[in-house]
Amino acid sequence: MSKLLLFLLAVAPAFAQDPRQIILEVQKRQRSESQRYEGTLEVISQGNQVATKRWLYQRIGSFGNSKAILRFTAPAEVKGVGLLIVNHPDRASDQWMWRPAIGRDQRIALQDRSTRFFGTDFSFEDLEERDVDQYDYKLLADEGATWKIESRPRKSSQYSYSYFWIKKDNYTFVRIEAYSKKGLVRTIDYKDYEQIKGIWTARVTEVYDVARKSRTILKYEKLDYNLPMKDDDFTLQALRREL
Amino acid sequence: MILLRLISWPYARKHLLRWLLTTAGIVLGVGVFVGMRTANKSVLAAFNQTIDRIAGSAQLQVTAGDAGFGEEVLDKVRDLPEVRAAAPVIEATVSYGETAQSNLLILGVDMLGDRNIRNYDLEGEDDADQAQAIDDPLIFLAQPDSLMVTKKFAEEHGLKVNSRLPMRTMQGDRTFIIRGIMKPGGLANAFGGDLAIMDIYAAQKMFGRGQKFDRIDIALPEETRLEDATAKLKAALGPGFQVEPPSSRGEQFESTSRMYALASNITSVFALFIGMFIIYNTFAIAVTERRSEIGILRALGATRGQIRTLFLVESALAGLAGTFAGVAFGIVMARAMAGYIGGMLTEIYGVAQSPGDLTLDPWLIGAAVAMGLATSLVAAVIPARSAARVDPVKALQKGGYQTLSEGENRVRRRWAMAFGAASVVAFAFSRFGIMTYVGYLLAILAAVLLSPALSFWLSRVLRPFLAGVRPVEGALAADSLIQAPRRTSGTIAALMLSIALVISLGGLARSSYDSLADWMRIALNPDFFVTTAETLSSRSFVFPGSLADGLRSVEGVTEVQPVRSVRTMVKNAPIMLIAGDIGMIAKRVTLPAVEGDPQEMYRLAAEEKGVVVSANFARLHDAHLGEVLDIPAPDGDLRLPIVGVVDDYSDQQGTLLINRSLYIRYWHDDAVNVFRVYVNPGADAAQVRQRILNKFGSQQRLFVLTNREVRDFITRLTDQWFGLTNVQTAVAVLVAILGIVNALTVSITDRRRELGVLQAVGGLRNQIRHTIWMEAVAIGIIGVALGAAFGAVQLFYSIEIARRDLIGISIHYEYPFQTALILIPVILGSALLAALGPAESAVRGSLIEALEYE
Amino acid sequence: MILLRGVSKTFDGKRKVTALERIDLSIAKGEMASIVGPSGSGKSTMLNLIGGLDRPTRGEVELDGQPLSKLSDDELTRVRRDKIGFIFQFFNLLPTLSCLENVSLPLHLRGWPRKKVEERARELLDLVKLSARIDHLPDELSGGERQRVAIARALSVYPPILLADEPTGNLDTQTGVEILNLIHDLHDRLGATVLIVTHDKTVAESCPRTIQLRDGRVFADTRREEVAR
Repeated sequence: MSKLLLFLLAVAPAFAQDPRQIILEVQKRQRSESQRYEGTLEVISQGNQVATKRWLYQRIGSFGNSKAILRFTAPAEVKGVGLLIVNHPDRASDQWMWRPAIGRDQRIALQDRSTRFFGTDFSFEDLEERDVDQYDYKLLADEGATWKIESRPRKSSQYSYSYFWIKKDNYTFVRIEAYSKKGLVRTIDYKDYEQIKGIWTARVTEVYDVARKSRTILKYEKLDYNLPMKDDDFTLQALRREL
Repeated sequence: MILLRLISWPYARKHLLRWLLTTAGIVLGVGVFVGMRTANKSVLAAFNQTIDRIAGSAQLQVTAGDAGFGEEVLDKVRDLPEVRAAAPVIEATVSYGETAQSNLLILGVDMLGDRNIRNYDLEGEDDADQAQAIDDPLIFLAQPDSLMVTKKFAEEHGLKVNSRLPMRTMQGDRTFIIRGIMKPGGLANAFGGDLAIMDIYAAQKMFGRGQKFDRIDIALPEETRLEDATAKLKAALGPGFQVEPPSSRGEQFESTSRMYALASNITSVFALFIGMFIIYNTFAIAVTERRSEIGILRALGATRGQIRTLFLVESALAGLAGTFAGVAFGIVMARAMAGYIGGMLTEIYGVAQSPGDLTLDPWLIGAAVAMGLATSLVAAVIPARSAARVDPVKALQKGGYQTLSEGENRVRRRWAMAFGAASVVAFAFSRFGIMTYVGYLLAILAAVLLSPALSFWLSRVLRPFLAGVRPVEGALAADSLIQAPRRTSGTIAALMLSIALVISLGGLARSSYDSLADWMRIALNPDFFVTTAETLSSRSFVFPGSLADGLRSVEGVTEVQPVRSVRTMVKNAPIMLIAGDIGMIAKRVTLPAVEGDPQEMYRLAAEEKGVVVSANFARLHDAHLGEVLDIPAPDGDLRLPIVGVVDDYSDQQGTLLINRSLYIRYWHDDAVNVFRVYVNPGADAAQVRQRILNKFGSQQRLFVLTNREVRDFITRLTDQWFGLTNVQTAVAVLVAILGIVNALTVSITDRRRELGVLQAVGGLRNQIRHTIWMEAVAIGIIGVALGAAFGAVQLFYSIEIARRDLIGISIHYEYPFQTALILIPVILGSALLAALGPAESAVRGSLIEALEYE
Repeated sequence: MILLRGVSKTFDGKRKVTALERIDLSIAKGEMASIVGPSGSGKSTMLNLIGGLDRPTRGEVELDGQPLSKLSDDELTRVRRDKIGFIFQFFNLLPTLSCLENVSLPLHLRGWPRKKVEERARELLDLVKLSARIDHLPDELSGGERQRVAIARALSVYPPILLADEPTGNLDTQTGVEILNLIHDLHDRLGATVLIVTHDKTVAESCPRTIQLRDGRVFADTRREEVAR
């Protein structure tokens, strides 16, 4: 799956009992050198209105050493707007936005990352990938087919802690609940798993914003891993190039 | 008090009109006081509210004058741990609507992070196609033509989501699309709801701001103290930046508007003064008229105290009625004035507005009531005393005239001399601000106290002249004034004060127009002014400096002078900093030097070795040649000595002139507000203008104003100012005229028998009319004479106060003979008009009764 | 000269007061008559009607055959100024004007040239023996002197009719006699028609004709050949 988002972490297990090892094992199994997909995003508001957007996503590298460009393709009003994410293993990612209509890029400040990602129920923070070592984990429960793990960020984050549910048989995420000091902020459910090039990949993720009572469903289409990509295509210059 | 109902009320009812006229002075005085104060307060409250709402949850704001600062400052701010969130803002007003009369406040924000500071509560969350359009910052960001407006604005202009709104930008005409409508409340109520939100980068382009922000709004983490964060930010940014809580903008604003309150206070004191004399007059008359009534009351056992109290209570009631009417009048006036003050302060501070609701301060109302009451009581003290002194026996006898005793007159004259002398002494010490006002007040008192003696004397001088015109009617008219000074002295004092006010305002206007005309002739000599707005004062939009070359290449243009003007805080006041190519300007313009050598100062300024300041800046802020000014610039203070002080009327707050290259270096800003364009002597100006418009007009927002248009604009602004004072003048004169009606009404009552005799021995009705008319004209002549004389003193103080505390501009003393000459027919005509009613009632009364009564 | 035909005068108020009721009276040119009666009998009202200061409710007043009822206020004033001189009980001098000015008043009102006015005024003051007081204000004069000024003023245009309302009422007896003598003297010299309202018997009896009013009607009309002077 993808990793556009979430994964405020990544992981893989050695011993089932060690939560850090579980996360490390998840990461190991998800690991790919590059990824590409066309995303369809549906935001379903409280009143059941649906807004649809589409984008193209490409990533090179993995986890804390990855770079990704996301570029909107639909609707027409937003076509061409791009986002460059440069992840760092030891700190928050750098993010830039490109706005073709005014011809300029703009750094997205750290402080702005808790805000919603362009009207979806994701936040900018949800888009970055962070290293396992930036979190403390605790195994809360063994629920038969899944583990329930608590993750607490060591660095600043909008979240105080999150709960992960991970399937034991294939080390894939089932659900994340993210909490702030005030309580549950959003939930993410991973659905329609499918193996692509040997990687178990959720084809649908669904985010629910508790406060707004709004859902965002992201469908991954034409998803593929380990395609040949160039580092040069993941720079600010590349971001400024039109599609 | 039973006396009040039995005695006062029937009398008041009988003379209802007179009582209404009497209270007019109080109405006027209280009205001006309440109106101006309320307008000020309301504008301030609206301003604070707008600031507050626009600031959202921002606790601190970073600014650097209205030149703005580079985008990189934002990163510096965000890097500080004391900053939780920082949101850049561009704030500008544009005029919109067919007549371009209203202002729309445009807030350029970074939609990505702005919600950390401001809350946008949008309409139509439940409506399918709106929800998408609205709450999608991606669309807002992707489409720089996006605009969010308030529900109020949308409704007023029939706008819906996806409606188009054309606006003229620095890149030509652009159509904006409404992509969100804010629900009323909070931010949407700022600036009276005339607010639009735009992407900040789109706003940079719209207003030609380059890559600059006006301001950064900052929210702090919970545990951080405001002072700590302020100190850290100041240290990180340097002295060119102001780091202050949003509320401090209101404080600056308040100190500016206080100036205008002072000016209006003088007017309201004046009006109350006039009102006081009219009340005094009415009561003096009432005492004469009701002498027999008072005599009966006294004969029936009323004590002196009871009589005195009766009159004081009557006066208090009249004062109270006048006060309440005045408060109402003030509220009406406040509405009109609030718009005016709002507009003026919008020009200075960017955001201000005419408030939707007036803020009524109960303390203010209390003060107004106290003022009205005090005025009416003070006015009634002397009449009440003389009422108490009425001798019952004499009062019940027929006939007899009451005259002011010579002793009383002498006492007054002595006081007048004392006050006059004291006012001269005060003038000697007028270096100390307050002494000017003390001297002013003493001069008024002296004039008022002297006026009965002077009018007595003037009446005697007039008598032969009047008698020469009409032997009987003229002599009787003059005698009426000579014999009953009490009847007319209040009216004459009121008239004198009114006329003095008119003279002084006329003098101020005359001298101001002269000075302004001189200045415009010298300073505004280019053929064209290329501007970004229809007026010279709007600074929302700016040109890029590069346009200068484009303009120079237009055929027929010989010279183009780019001028940048920004408001910046110098000596804690919002001063206008003007940056131009001084070498170039000095060849065309030499403003009269107040301090320093004219050639030398321009040479030094052109060499970036100094700043030339306007005389009003120097006066208002006590600055002098050689003093080193700290002018805050983004890279640190620009420290420059004052190399010259010149008469410059560009700005009421004062101006500083520096060389443009210096400005560009310190502010990293090559923007231009106005290009001063000179045309080849041989070229056809109209054609050159057209060529400029053809070449640039379609690409960007650009206006070419001719020299005449600019001068007319400035003259119109000045007209507006004096227009406001003209209203005061008109009302003051009106009240004085009402005083004449009052005095004459009483005069004919007093002189009924005399007029009856006149008719009995063969006086025709016209002859009776003539004597009344002549009396009115005589009052008018005396009023004009005294007013014209006292106006000279009044003008002196007006100029002093204007120079010292209001605008800092030194206006040369020039007595407005023209105004005085115009006043003669106006006042005499009005007096004659005032006499028509009383004269008619004089000829209509029964002859028999006139002859038999009293 | 003076003719009253069926003249009535009522004053409207809460209660209607009839001051004169259907008076018919004729006074010949050059006659000197006194009008007497208790107060409220209508003496002053009658004098006012004859003097054109007031208008009758019914009936007609004619002076020299000219009916007054048809005249406008200003025309009435003109008749008054040309034909009638008034003498009042309270003198009714204008306190601000000197003797000369007071006497000049009617002449100025007629628009006489200044020089002529002064000439005549001096002449009149001479007539009433006040030449020495020409520039004095009324306040500076005794009662008798004031009345003499008033008489001079009344005579200023040598009016054919002189109306006096209690001319001696405000004077002591001695002065009253002097004034009465003055009026008689003037009557003899100028030949004017004189009507004196009085309740002083001496004054009344000094006139050849006495008209007695009571309750608004003529109660008696007596002529005497010999008068006490």
